[in-house]
Amino acid sequence: MDPLLLRLTAVLVLLLVVAVLGRWWQQRVTSLAPVPVAVGPRVAADHLHAVGLDLTGARAGALLLGAPTCSPCGQVEQVLRTLAHERDDFRWVYADAADHLGIADDHAVRRVPTLFVLAPGGRILARTSGVPRADELRRVLDGEEQPV
Amino acid sequence: MSEVAEHVERLEQPAGPVRDGRGALVIDVRGPRFGAAITTVVLAAALVAQGPVGLGLVLWQWFAFAVASVAGLAHSPYGRLFRAVKRWRRLGPPPATEPEGPPRFAQTCGLVVTTLALLLFALGAPVAGWFAVGAVLVLSVLLATTGLCVGCELYLVGQRLRARRGAA
Repeated sequence: MDPLLLRLTAVLVLLLVVAVLGRWWQQRVTSLAPVPVAVGPRVAADHLHAVGLDLTGARAGALLLGAPTCSPCGQVEQVLRTLAHERDDFRWVYADAADHLGIADDHAVRRVPTLFVLAPGGRILARTSGVPRADELRRVLDGEEQPV
Repeated sequence: MSEVAEHVERLEQPAGPVRDGRGALVIDVRGPRFGAAITTVVLAAALVAQGPVGLGLVLWQWFAFAVASVAGLAHSPYGRLFRAVKRWRRLGPPPATEPEGPPRFAQTCGLVVTTLALLLFALGAPVAGWFAVGAVLVLSVLLATTGLCVGCELYLVGQRLRARRGAA
């Protein structure tokens, strides 16, 4: 085989493989993952207090960990604003992950944005790293995607 | 072009750099992906051609990374091209903006690895040099096709490490 043709084929295969693997990984990371009830992790009350999220009287809430230089964080905030506009009983806060390293450590937060969807007591209903779709979040909040 | 259209055009194409509330430079989120797509084409062509043509393409890419790292993304050849394409295709205002810091750091990472590749070529280790070029190509494809910017992620990890060190 002509070396030029061989290199062309190798480069095209490389591009294809990286693009497919990248898409797969992105979908895996950004999908909203319901958290099993049996596992029952919760964001500690002192952490909620530190970020200023008061869930008293709320049906659900969300904690978004981000960074000032994180570009998708703004998109997640927009989704959360939409949901808060639709539902009076939904509250959310944004917190800089660098200012709340305790939460990041306790919940193994490696990337920003990381979003925790919370029940009133602070139990984590779902989490995602990336920009969730509003309808996915609605399903979790409506209990349609109840944790296993 | 009508007066109204010209006014809209001016609003969509700010003359100077745009800054956010904290004074940090912000850029159109589409810019880095556009640049990554061109980088992908340039480096893929370099890997296929190799020889003097391939080396020339790697040198060009090194120059593009260097300008973006030193002067900012808005001044890089691909940043200028993106603005020209925006005007030509009337792509309109950015759907969102992002701080320039992380993508600029990613360009610096690209500069470091392409410098390494050029050093390897100069030292007579072309195979290792092309592997280094291949690594930059992989990261460019990831950014162009999925929006995943590995350099930007590293920048954010670095910020958190700095915060952790500051808190200790």
